[in-house]
Amino acid sequence: MTPHPVVFFLPASGGEQRLCLFHAPAPEFQDRPRSKLLYLHPFAEEMNKSRRMAALACRALAEAGHAVLQIDLRGCGDSSADFGDASWADWQADVRLGLAELDNRVPDAPLWLWGLRAGALLAAADWGRPVNYLLWQPMTSGKLALQQFLRLKLAAEMASGASKGLMDQLKGELAAGRAVEIAGYLLGPALASGLEAARLAPAGAPGRVEWLELSTREDATLTPVSEQTIKNWMDAGWAVRSQVAQGPSFWSTSEIELAPTLIARTVEALS
Amino acid sequence: MDKDQVLGHVLRLLDDVLSLNGRAQTFTRDTALLGALPELDSMAVVSLITALEEQLGLAVDDDDIDGDTFATVGSLADFVAARLA
Repeated sequence: MTPHPVVFFLPASGGEQRLCLFHAPAPEFQDRPRSKLLYLHPFAEEMNKSRRMAALACRALAEAGHAVLQIDLRGCGDSSADFGDASWADWQADVRLGLAELDNRVPDAPLWLWGLRAGALLAAADWGRPVNYLLWQPMTSGKLALQQFLRLKLAAEMASGASKGLMDQLKGELAAGRAVEIAGYLLGPALASGLEAARLAPAGAPGRVEWLELSTREDATLTPVSEQTIKNWMDAGWAVRSQVAQGPSFWSTSEIELAPTLIARTVEALS
Repeated sequence: MDKDQVLGHVLRLLDDVLSLNGRAQTFTRDTALLGALPELDSMAVVSLITALEEQLGLAVDDDDIDGDTFATVGSLADFVAARLA
């Protein structure tokens, strides 16, 4: 039996705190964890929808001998500040905070940054140290991620016929340094611009990448965009393995859904 | 892809994204979507568009995100067919 995760608040700058969950590896791996992972959650509502899957995957990885730290980024979940006050730079600082905490708890083990959707965009950066990446349905372009998020507003206004020209209006507000309200989230200009500039591009010393996507089809293959992105990483010297598991898009489905195959394949990939 | 295949894809995507558990297979072209199907909220609309872009490779313009496009199964299927042509 793997014990429950340790839940704690990590002090952050400005007297703030970040909610963290640490999943210790199973007892027989306590002295020698197979790896340590920092989980970076997806954007806005996708974070809520994927909470259950993330928890189950963390537990499965801990049972398989990995140490996993989950951190709620600034303005998200139970961490300090409002979503509207968060910036992309804040989130990058939170990644460093999480890495330092993970190092304290697990000094020696290969490091993996594990990103789901937009979490992958945040993960892909030069952290000045060797990093491997576990990517779940990664978004490859921050520009597209922002567009998809802003489209939520268009979709909400669609029935009233007020969606025409709305995208330009939203972008104009952000460009003028003003926050916009999208699907119950206040999106600040510093978060929008940081997200928009993010790309899933290789940076830093090459390591391993485990790339996993989901599809409800049995015969699914990677999308052309994913293929191209993976090629870029391989050209930069990274050892990339990719696969498509069968299961629902749990980060966006109407009901909370699970993809047990993805968890099983993930544990296998890191074994 | 002929019209029936497009309709099949649209129904499968609707079923997946909206967690309909196979209910979409009972839909016809006349089945009303926007305003009639409670599962089709704004997040579901955007997920549907994303799935259409990623899985069928079609490009959706922001101005296409319009009530008429998502009115019925038939209007959505016609929209997809027009962009695949």
